[in-house]
Parts: sequence; structure tokens; C-alpha cells
Amino acid sequence: MLNIKNLWVLNIAGVEVWITETIFNTWLIMLFLIIFAVIARIKLHNFKTVPTGFQNFIEAVVEAFDGFASNALGEKLSYIAPWFFMVFALILSCSLFSIFGVRAPTADFATTFALAFATFILMFFMGFKHRRGSYLKSFFEPHPVFFPLNLIGELSKPVSLSFRLFGNMLSGTIILTLYYGLTPLFVQIGIPALLHAFFDVLFGALQTYIFVIISLMYIKGAAD
Amino acid sequence: MHRIVFLAQAAPEGRVFGLDFQTLIHIGIQLFNGIILAVALSFILYKPVKEFMRKRTDRIQSKIDEADATMAKANELIAEYEKKLKNIDKERAEILEAARLKVADESKNILEEARREALEIKKRSMDSVAEEKERLKEETRLYIIELASLIAEKYIKQSIDAEIQDKLFEEALAQLEDTQWQN
Repeated sequence: MLNIKNLWVLNIAGVEVWITETIFNTWLIMLFLIIFAVIARIKLHNFKTVPTGFQNFIEAVVEAFDGFASNALGEKLSYIAPWFFMVFALILSCSLFSIFGVRAPTADFATTFALAFATFILMFFMGFKHRRGSYLKSFFEPHPVFFPLNLIGELSKPVSLSFRLFGNMLSGTIILTLYYGLTPLFVQIGIPALLHAFFDVLFGALQTYIFVIISLMYIKGAAD
Repeated sequence: MHRIVFLAQAAPEGRVFGLDFQTLIHIGIQLFNGIILAVALSFILYKPVKEFMRKRTDRIQSKIDEADATMAKANELIAEYEKKLKNIDKERAEILEAARLKVADESKNILEEARREALEIKKRSMDSVAEEKERLKEETRLYIIELASLIAEKYIKQSIDAEIQDKLFEEALAQLEDTQWQN
């Protein structure tokens, strides 16, 4: 039950590709988020000057995230906020979907490393774009002898970022799996709701925030 | 030639964690999924909503600016009217002062005229009185003459006796007879 199941195996030009539960669940979550976005987009035509109900929710989410990203990144880098809006929506949705028994894609290292790797790429790209030579020079500071340490420090960022999220999400999954697997049926009513609320909702929201804010800090640190 | 083959039966046992070529492929797939989702959410939701909010903010800001401009204009008008009111007070004071001066002048002129007319009337009255006095003097004189004549006549009447009267009568009669004969 803990294992990430392989649903299908594709053979693409001789390369074997396992389509795992993680990838399938990611597609499910993507589908849900895209449908939600399309609904919001359709309703956008009827949005009023004074927001109410659904419009209020959409505006609050977008505005809150935009404000958060703009504060963390500054105006100069705010154009990368949409990527982190996706990261935010995806990680949070992964956690929330696990309430319904969908194995969280973030409890798979491939997902967390993919997101952390994107942060790493953005970090390097923004560093070179905004600081050019001085970013490269920062690897040799305070003395060129520190270059290997600086390089390891930079390379460890996506690793630590991905393992933090992976570990936290997996821990929740393990605990819940153990609970469902080891406890008698009568304690599986009611109590798991609290565990899900804690591990999926609370931990999920917290880890989403941590992942996003650390990613933003890394990028801002590289670009400034 | 690219071939995609489903090998559902050949799916290997699942795992919790692994660092191999499959993990690398999964990372690539998840990265690709992330890019697709980022593009979709960005273009379908994030940017349009932000654009909507930006336009609304601009619209509200423009209304606020418009209101500020109207307020500034109103304040200018108030200041202008206050200035005008202040000037009106000044102007009113000037007009009143001018009117007061004019009235005082007029009053002086009227008084002067009245005085002059009064003097003229007085002079005319004095002349009239003098003329009247002269006339009365003359009348008195004539009256005295007449009175004296009457007194003299009365005295003469009383002084002439019957004899003289007869003689005078006779002479008058004789004259009368001579006159008729000549006719």
C-alpha cells in the first residue's frame, strides 16, 4: 500500500516508461485544476466590480498569491510568479486530494525533485540574467578555494528542497497507511479524519508554503 | 519509427523510492506536466484574473482621480467665489461710501440752493414791503390831502354867511343866464 504502483508500462521507441500512480494522479489533479481554471475563466466574463461568492474566492487566491510572490521576489522578478502559482496550486492540491484516498504525487521523489529542479534552473537562469558575471563570481567568494563548497552548496539546494517536501509528504502517507493497515476497523471511523486534517490539510498547506517561500528566496538570492 | 506499446501485464512491482533511469524519466514527465499546468493556469486563470483586477483598480483609480480633480475644481470655484464675495464686500463698501459722499454733496447743494432761494424770497419780500410802504405813504398822503380839503371845505362852508351865499348865487345865476342867451 505504501508503494507507488506502476499502472502501465509504455515502450516508446525501445525505451521502457513506467506510468506510475504518481503520474496518473498528477494528471488527475492537473485535469481538476485546469477544469477549475476554465470554469473560473468562463465566470470571469460575469465578474462584478464588487466581488461576491466564487469571484471573491478566485480574486482572494490570485491576489494573495500575487502579493506574496511580489513581496518575496520584488517587482523585478514578479514575472515568474505564474510558475510558482502552479507549484503552489499543485502541491496544495496533491495534499488535499490525498484526503480522498488519492496517493499524493508529492509523496514521490520524482515529483518533488522535478519541482525543485525547476527552481534550481530558474535560480541559475535568473542569477545569470540579472547579475551576469557577478553571479558566476559569487561561486569563487570569499576566495577561489571555496568554489567546490559553493558549488556543492548550490547543487544541494534542489536536493534539500525536494527531499524536505518528499519526506514530509511521505511521512504523512506512511503514518496514515500504517494506521489504516494496523488498526481494527472500528477505529477507522472518525479518527482518520483528524489525521487527514493534520497530515494532509495542515502539513500540506505548511509544506506548500515552505517549498514556495524557500524557492522564491533561492531565486531572489541568486538574482539580487 | 516511434512505437508506443502498452505492456500492462508486464508492469513491475511498485516502490517507494528509487534512483534509476525510471526516476529520471519520471522527473522529466513531472517537469513536463508542471510546465503544461503552469502554462494552462497562467493563461487561463492567473493572468486574466490579474488583468481583470488591474483594470478594475485602474478604473477605480481613475474615478478617484476624477473625483479629486472635481474636488480641486470645486475648491478653486469656492476660492474664486470667496474672493468675489470678499471683493463684493469691498465694492459694496465703496459704493456705499460713494453714495454717502454723493448724498452729502447733494444735501449740501440742496441746502445751498434752499438758502439762496430763501435769501431771494427774503429780498423779494423786502422789496415788496418797501413798495407797499411807498404805496401806503402815497395813499396816506393823498388821503391826508383829501381830508385837509374836506376840512378846509367844511371850514369855508361854515365861514360863509347867508349874504355872501346869496351874492355868490346871484353871480352864478347871472353867468348862467348870459350863457343860455349866447346859445
